[in-house]
Amino acid sequence: MLEGWRASGSPALPILAARLRYLLVVVGLGFLVLLGRLWQLQIIRGDRYREQTVSNVVERSHIASLRGKILDRKGRPLAENRPAFNIYVQTKAFTPELAQALETTLGLSAHEMELMSERIERARGRKQFRQYQRVLEDQGRDRATLVDESLRYRFAGIEVRTEPQRHYPSGALAAHVLGYMSQMSAGELQRLEADGYEADETIGRFGLELEWEAYLRGKKGLELFAEDAHHNRLDDMTAARFIGGPMRVEPIAGHNLVSTIDIDLQRVAEAAVAKHEVAAVVVVEVATGKLLAVVSKPAFDPNVMSGRLSAADSALLMSNPHAPFLDKALRATYPPGSVFKFVTGIAALEEGRTRADEHINCPGSYTLGRTSFRCTHVHGKVDMQEAIAQSCNVYFYNLAERMGLDPIVGVAHRFGFGMPTGLGLNGDGGGRVPTRTWYKNRGGYSAGKATNASIGQGDVEVTVLQVAMAYAALANGGTLYVPQIVDRVESVAGQVVMQYQPRIARVVKVAPSVLSLMTRGMVDVVARDEGTAFAAVRSNVVAIAGKTGTAQVVRLSADRGRSLPAGWHRSKEHAWFAGWAPAGAPEIAIAVLIEHGGTGGTVAGPVVKSVIEQYFKEVKRGP
Amino acid sequence: MSRLGFALRAERRRFDQLDWPLVVTMLFIVGVGLLNLYSAIHGTKHAAKFDQQLMFVTMGVVLFGLVAAIDYHLWIRLAWWGIGGVLLLLIVVALMGTRSEAKGSSRWLMVGGYGIQPSEFAKLAIIIALARVSEQLGNTTPQRYAYIALAMAPVGFIAIQPDLGTASICALVATSVGLLVLRDIRPILLIWLPLLIVAPFKWDSLHRYQQNRIMVFLDPSLDPHGIGWQLRQSKLGIGSGQLVGKGYLEGTQNRFDFLPEHWTDFPFAVWAEEWGFLGSAGLVLAFALLVYWCLSLAFRARDKGGAIICVGVAALVFWHAIINIAMVIGMAPVVGVTLPFISYGGSSLLTFFIALGLAASVGLRKHG
Repeated sequence: MLEGWRASGSPALPILAARLRYLLVVVGLGFLVLLGRLWQLQIIRGDRYREQTVSNVVERSHIASLRGKILDRKGRPLAENRPAFNIYVQTKAFTPELAQALETTLGLSAHEMELMSERIERARGRKQFRQYQRVLEDQGRDRATLVDESLRYRFAGIEVRTEPQRHYPSGALAAHVLGYMSQMSAGELQRLEADGYEADETIGRFGLELEWEAYLRGKKGLELFAEDAHHNRLDDMTAARFIGGPMRVEPIAGHNLVSTIDIDLQRVAEAAVAKHEVAAVVVVEVATGKLLAVVSKPAFDPNVMSGRLSAADSALLMSNPHAPFLDKALRATYPPGSVFKFVTGIAALEEGRTRADEHINCPGSYTLGRTSFRCTHVHGKVDMQEAIAQSCNVYFYNLAERMGLDPIVGVAHRFGFGMPTGLGLNGDGGGRVPTRTWYKNRGGYSAGKATNASIGQGDVEVTVLQVAMAYAALANGGTLYVPQIVDRVESVAGQVVMQYQPRIARVVKVAPSVLSLMTRGMVDVVARDEGTAFAAVRSNVVAIAGKTGTAQVVRLSADRGRSLPAGWHRSKEHAWFAGWAPAGAPEIAIAVLIEHGGTGGTVAGPVVKSVIEQYFKEVKRGP
Repeated sequence: MSRLGFALRAERRRFDQLDWPLVVTMLFIVGVGLLNLYSAIHGTKHAAKFDQQLMFVTMGVVLFGLVAAIDYHLWIRLAWWGIGGVLLLLIVVALMGTRSEAKGSSRWLMVGGYGIQPSEFAKLAIIIALARVSEQLGNTTPQRYAYIALAMAPVGFIAIQPDLGTASICALVATSVGLLVLRDIRPILLIWLPLLIVAPFKWDSLHRYQQNRIMVFLDPSLDPHGIGWQLRQSKLGIGSGQLVGKGYLEGTQNRFDFLPEHWTDFPFAVWAEEWGFLGSAGLVLAFALLVYWCLSLAFRARDKGGAIICVGVAALVFWHAIINIAMVIGMAPVVGVTLPFISYGGSSLLTFFIALGLAASVGLRKHG
């Protein structure tokens, strides 16, 4: 090499030859660095990049599963699905121009615009850069058509999807039992992401929708498709090569719940309390513990709750002084008043503190120490049966003084008071049966506590459901059932997945003679003209037995200065009636509470009568 | 007859002396380029570009033969004419060149429907002028530097277009040559050092897109939809090629347009995705071989002018290949530097054919 140069004897030659070698080294190093980097990219990180190019091309789209229906005991829908048109936009494609076009084309409100931007921002935060995001729900056919016809051709990455939307065909009927659906919060999403929940998905709230979410929800399907960089969908053959698996996984529909609720009876019960501001009704099958109707008033329309509830509507519901979201039948607790008297009666008889035929004189009031306890009027001499029928307080005050608090607490517990029933819906309240221990930290126990408790006043608190279950147990001879509201779970095809059998909480051991004495008294409540519910509840259709209750309430100091709805007196008594029918061969038991309604016989009684009559006239006979 | 026979024998001998490894390596890379371009654009609206490229390749091969056949001393004698011609063309570009709206630069002259980029040919003119300077012009140092400055005059015009990519290539080629032939390399350092020091202060005079490219190179997340996107998709494509590639015409980044303009500045990504590490390393080695062969011709050249032409050509191929591939694999900012024989574009292709023709011409005449 370099022969020619050497021949020319140029002074630069020795330098040139030496430097050429350096240059070769530099060149070699340069190319080596490139090779090293290629090795790093293609061999070391190749797998990761390969995966990323697949996800570059492959888009995932979840297919909503059809939520299971909630049916009444005769298979009539209480909650079902209807098609809704939802608008989706690819996060990446959501430009100010598109937002503007949506606003003008659909005439969106400022609230809707804000909601839309919020959702996109959230999706961007989650780095779901190319995924479709639901921005508008349930837009109606007209708006959907507008989007399809005028926007889809101008903008890429927008589409209308028809998806199932929860629908409650009877509106607010049985709202507390059914519950509603609503979107998850960010926190919930984080908690539930592992279970396959996604942003914008709705989840069951309240009632059966909440408690049976896992069965109702089903399993989402998945659709995979491939798109190029311009969001053009690739043909299926090409796409299949990338995906290398099934391109569509069908969703699995949720199971249907067949509840024990009878929609007709529910309707009758709701109509019966329509004129009252706050009320609760529980109707239960005596032989099984199945709930036939559960009313909590005021209610809410689950359709509204599940749809696009405006902030104003939501605030109005939340600030409603009647607390529509508190389940008055299953969770709220009230002093039971006289419907509790059978407990005191049984306790005294079992303790041997009285006999069925012992007569106690009622002079209209009862003095314990320096306190005078009043009765409704002078009853004169009454025995147990009459005391129940006429609801004589003095009679039970006497028994309480003889035996103290403990026996009352014992019998109350046996009938299920003071603990949740086991229904497990809407926070199934436990109520309270105060014990001596309970009083220890609250000013101490005194004889007056038992006196108050004996007539279901003072610190005794129960739920309407507890009362209904206890009366069902009285009626059926002492079997206390766990209330049941789901009869069975069925697949979409109608196959029974799970069948629930009545569950007995306990058999309350009460001597038949004692039980029979109590029920005789309760028959007299309605059947005899001295009975407290003779006028209001006696029926030509069916013989009804039961007990009225008028629970005194202490006016709450918090009420002062607080604006309450017109005609609403928190100082008025709670009106109760609990009973069963037919009196001699019980089929259904019922508990009714009208909050601050007044006297039990005149206010709660007519409700009971109309529900029971309707049951025997229409519901029982069936369609 | 005998005269013709003699002439044929002489030509035959010359043909035998042709540097075949150089030609074969070059034609291999050209083949890769065509194959790759076909894959990059088939089924797109740019499909017709393949036929254009094929036409340019044909022209290029002919030019290569012609340039190789002509004694390179002729070009060295015409060196100043070449520089003059290029300067003239660059002035015309500055006055009436086609302006790129996006980048605000004028680089092209439209001739018969094809865009011609005079700055490409400037690279050749500079190499030849440097050969001339080093071979015979001027005996005193000031004289030689004056000539070097004259040889480098086109770089200034290219820089103000602005086409910093090409200007840098020219400067790098000249530096490479200078480092090799100058007894005293301090003047080169004296030019580069101030440039490097001043560069940060000249930041504001760079076009916005140029600033962006450098910023995005340092942090691709700055421009996730533009160059950042392109860089990311380029790396994804190359990386996902793994060892043996996804197969010809099967590159997803390419086929589904995830890699914008992949037939001009990013063809290497297409190749690497479809042919894997084996293919991409093979191509890198082919470039290494081509550069090595040009340098080896420099060793064997019969005179200094020929050696400098070969070093210049080697430097031209080297810097183009290194910068282009480094940018595609995310090791250098995105600059408009083509990949020799692979990138689409007539000017670039013809420049490299002519350049290698010059090297071959030196090789053919190494024994006088």
